[in-house]
Amino acid sequence: MTGPSKALAWCIGLAVAAAAITLPLYANGYYLALGISILYFTVLATAWAMFSGPTRYVSLATAAFFGIGAYTAAVTGETLSWPLQLLTAAGVGAVVAAITGLSTLRLSGIYFIIFSFGLAELIRQLVIWYEVNIHKSVGRYLFSDITQEMLYWQLCALTALVFLAGFVLTRSRFGLALRAIGADETAARHSGIDATAVKLGVFIVSAVFMSVTGAIMAPRWTYIDPAIAFNPMISFQVVIMALLGGAGALIGPVLGVIPLVLLFEVLTAALPNHFSIVLGLIFIGIVLALPKGVVGLVDQVWRRERSKVTAVKPLSGGGTLLVAETVGKSFGGLRAVDKVSLDVRAGEILGVIGPNGSGKTTLLNMLSGALVPSDGTIRFDGAVINGMAAHRIARLGLARTFQLVRVMPDLTVAENVATAALFRGSRSSAAQESIHELLVMVGLGDMADSPAGDLTYIDQKRLELARALALHPRLVLLDEWLAGLNPTELETGIALIASLRARGITIVMVEHVMDAIRALCDRCVVMSAGVVIARGTPDEVLADPTVITAYLGEPDA
Amino acid sequence: MLLFDILLPGLVLGGMYALIALGLTLQYGVARIMNLSYGESLVAAAFGTLSLYSGLKLSPLLALVLAIPAAALLNWLLYRLLLQRLIRRSKDRGAQEVDSILVTFGVLFVIQGVMLVAFGGQYYSYSYLSIPVTVLGSTLAVNRLVALAFAALIGTAVYLALTRTRLGTAVRAVAVDPNAAQLVGIDVGQLAGLAFAFGGGLVAAGGVLVSMFLTFNASMGVVFTMKALVVVIMGGVGNVMGALVAGLLLGVVETAVARLVDPGLTLAATFALFLAVLLIRPTGLFGKAAS
Repeated sequence: MTGPSKALAWCIGLAVAAAAITLPLYANGYYLALGISILYFTVLATAWAMFSGPTRYVSLATAAFFGIGAYTAAVTGETLSWPLQLLTAAGVGAVVAAITGLSTLRLSGIYFIIFSFGLAELIRQLVIWYEVNIHKSVGRYLFSDITQEMLYWQLCALTALVFLAGFVLTRSRFGLALRAIGADETAARHSGIDATAVKLGVFIVSAVFMSVTGAIMAPRWTYIDPAIAFNPMISFQVVIMALLGGAGALIGPVLGVIPLVLLFEVLTAALPNHFSIVLGLIFIGIVLALPKGVVGLVDQVWRRERSKVTAVKPLSGGGTLLVAETVGKSFGGLRAVDKVSLDVRAGEILGVIGPNGSGKTTLLNMLSGALVPSDGTIRFDGAVINGMAAHRIARLGLARTFQLVRVMPDLTVAENVATAALFRGSRSSAAQESIHELLVMVGLGDMADSPAGDLTYIDQKRLELARALALHPRLVLLDEWLAGLNPTELETGIALIASLRARGITIVMVEHVMDAIRALCDRCVVMSAGVVIARGTPDEVLADPTVITAYLGEPDA
Repeated sequence: MLLFDILLPGLVLGGMYALIALGLTLQYGVARIMNLSYGESLVAAAFGTLSLYSGLKLSPLLALVLAIPAAALLNWLLYRLLLQRLIRRSKDRGAQEVDSILVTFGVLFVIQGVMLVAFGGQYYSYSYLSIPVTVLGSTLAVNRLVALAFAALIGTAVYLALTRTRLGTAVRAVAVDPNAAQLVGIDVGQLAGLAFAFGGGLVAAGGVLVSMFLTFNASMGVVFTMKALVVVIMGGVGNVMGALVAGLLLGVVETAVARLVDPGLTLAATFALFLAVLLIRPTGLFGKAAS
C-alpha cells in the first residue's frame, strides 16, 4: 500500500473506530440497526477481499459461509452456550471451506469461481433436505437474550479482529505470496511458493470470519429458515462493496461498504421491488468504470510521483549437480522427449541446442518440475526430484526463467524478486538488502519500485533472472533467455551470464544464439526429435555432420 | 419398468441439458465470456413462452421460432455494448474471464429483478400436450417427447453447421486459438459476437422447450447456469460431442438420484459429478490432457 492510502487508512480508521464503538451510547434504534449493517458487511467484505483481492479468485460463496454460521447458531441455540455456538460456527465454516478449497483450489481459478457460485444453493438444498427428512420441520426459532447493543459490540470486536488479521497477513510473507499467485501462478510456483497451501490457508481464514459473522447476526432474526440464511444476494452485495472500495487494499472494502449500505437503505425504502435491478446496474457500472476501486484510483494518482536506489554483495557455489537418466515424456502418442540422459557438473555452463520442436523446452520443464516425466529419473544433488512439486524443486536451489517472460505485472520490480525470497527462510532486512543487490547486479537497481508491467522486454528478462537468483540457486535453467535481444543487449546478456558462473552458479541454457553458445558453454547437448544426437564442446558439436543435417536437412534435399 | 422409468425421462432431461450447454460452450469456448446470467436468460425465455401461450394462445412451438432470433439479437447487443469493452481492456485471458464473470453476475440480478417485478416469486407452469403415452413400458407426457425431438433437431443442426460449413469451421478455429485464427484472416471480434449471440439463441430455445414440461420460477436461473457449466466442463470446453454425452449423463444421473434417493438431492448429485470430474479429469471427459 502506498503513502496516501496508508495515511488515509489510519485517519479514517481511528475516527471511525472511536465513533463506532461509542455509537450505541447516543444513537437510537434506527441508527444502531444501520451501524450493525455497516459492521457486518465490513467484516464480510474485508474477509472476502483478504482472499479474493490478491489472488483474483473471485469467491461467490459468501452467502454459503454466512448462512452456515447463521444456521449453525440456530441449530445449536438450545444446547450450547453462546461462545460455543460461535466456535461451532467457525469450525463448520472452516471444514466446508477446506473441502471446497482442497477440491478446487489446485485447479485454475475458473473452476473455483464456478464451484463457489453454486455452493450457497447446494448447501441450502442440503439443509432443506436434512430438515425435511431428518428433523421433520424446515426452519428454526431462535430465542436469545442478546440485545441489539450486545450484537453491535460483538460485531465491533469482530471487525477489529478481521482488520488485525488482514494487517498481519499483508505484512507477512503469505500476503506477498498471495499477490504473486494472483499475478502469475506458474511463476509464483517456480519461485518456491506452495500456491495451493497458501490459497487454501487464507481461504479458510476468510471463510471462518464469514461464518462467525453469520452466527453473530443470527439472533437478529427470531425465525431462521434456509432461504433467509442462504440468501444469494449477500454474496452479490459483498462483491459489489469490495470492488467499489478496491479489493487490493485492506481499507478498500470499507470505503465501498459505507456508501453502499446507505444506498441499499434508501433503495429498500424507495424502490423495494426494483432493488436487485438497480443493484445489478450499479454493479455493472462499477466493474466497467472502476476496475480497481476507489483505492486504486487514489493509488494511481500517487504512483506517478516517486522512485528509489541502493548497494552490492556476492553469492555462492560447489562434482555432478544434476543427473537425468533415460528421461522421457509423451503427450498422447507423441514422444516429445525420448530416453534423454545427461549430467551437469557443478560450476559449468551446459548448452542445450537443437532445432525447434526437438524437445528442449519439454526437457527443461521436466528438470524444473513444470512437467512430470513419463519415465526415467532426475536427480538434483543426489535427491530424486522427478514428480516433485515445482515450488519444492525451486526451494532445493534449482531455479528457472521462462521462454516467454513471466513477470507479475502489477507487483513492483522489488516485489517480483521478493516473491522468490519468501519461502527460503531468509526474511527481514537482510533479504531486502539482497533483493537490491540482485537488482543492481542485473542492472535494474533504479527501478525497484516501478510496476513490473512497465518494464521493457529486456528489463523484464533481467527481472526474471533476478527473481530466479533470489532463490539463491545452485543451478539456473535459462530457457532462451537471450532470444529477441538486439546486438548490444546480447553482449550485456552474455556478460551477465558469464558473471553468474563466476559466482559459482551452475547453468543449463537452452539457446538458439550460437555466438552465445560458443562464448559461454563448456559443453553442449544437441537434441533432435526428442533424442540426444550429439554431445561435446560447442566447436565439436557444431561441426558434427549429424547436427548440421538435423538443422538444415539432407545435403540433397 | 424401473430402468426405463429412469432412463427415458433422464434422456429427455439430459437432451435439454446438452442443448443448453451447447449454447454456453459457444459463449465461453468461442467468445471467451463466462456468462453467469445464462440461466436467467433461460428462465426469461420460459416466462416469455408462458405469456405468449396463456395471453395470446400462441403455441410454444411458435414461441420457439420467435424466441431464438429475439434472444440472439439481445445477446448480440449485450456483447457489443458491454462485454466487448471488457475484452479490449483486459490484458490476459484470466483477467478477461474474471471481468466477464463479474459483469454477467450483475446482468443476472438485473434480469432476475425484472422477472420478479413482472411475475413475483411463485412457481409457474402451463399445460401443453400433456397427454400420457407409453414408451417401452414407462409412461411419458407427449410434451417431453416433443421437447426432446426439437432439442435433437436443433442440436444436430448446430453440430452440422459447426462441422460442415465455412462459418462453422471459422468458429471452431477461434475456439482453438483466437490469435492463430486472426492470422488466417478470420475477424475474431465479429465472430465472437456472433457466437455469443447464437449461444444466447440456443439457451432461449432451451428455455422454451423446458417450459413445456417443468415448473419454473423467477429465481431458479442459478441452478440452470450451474448445470450448464457442469456439463460444459465435464464435456471439455468447446467440445460439442462432449457436451452432448455429458448432458445426457447428467440428466440420467439426476433422474436416478431423484427417483431412487430423494428429489431434493439433485443439485447435490450435480455437484458430486462435477467434483468427481474435476478431481479425476480436470480437462473434461473428452478434453485433451493438459500439456
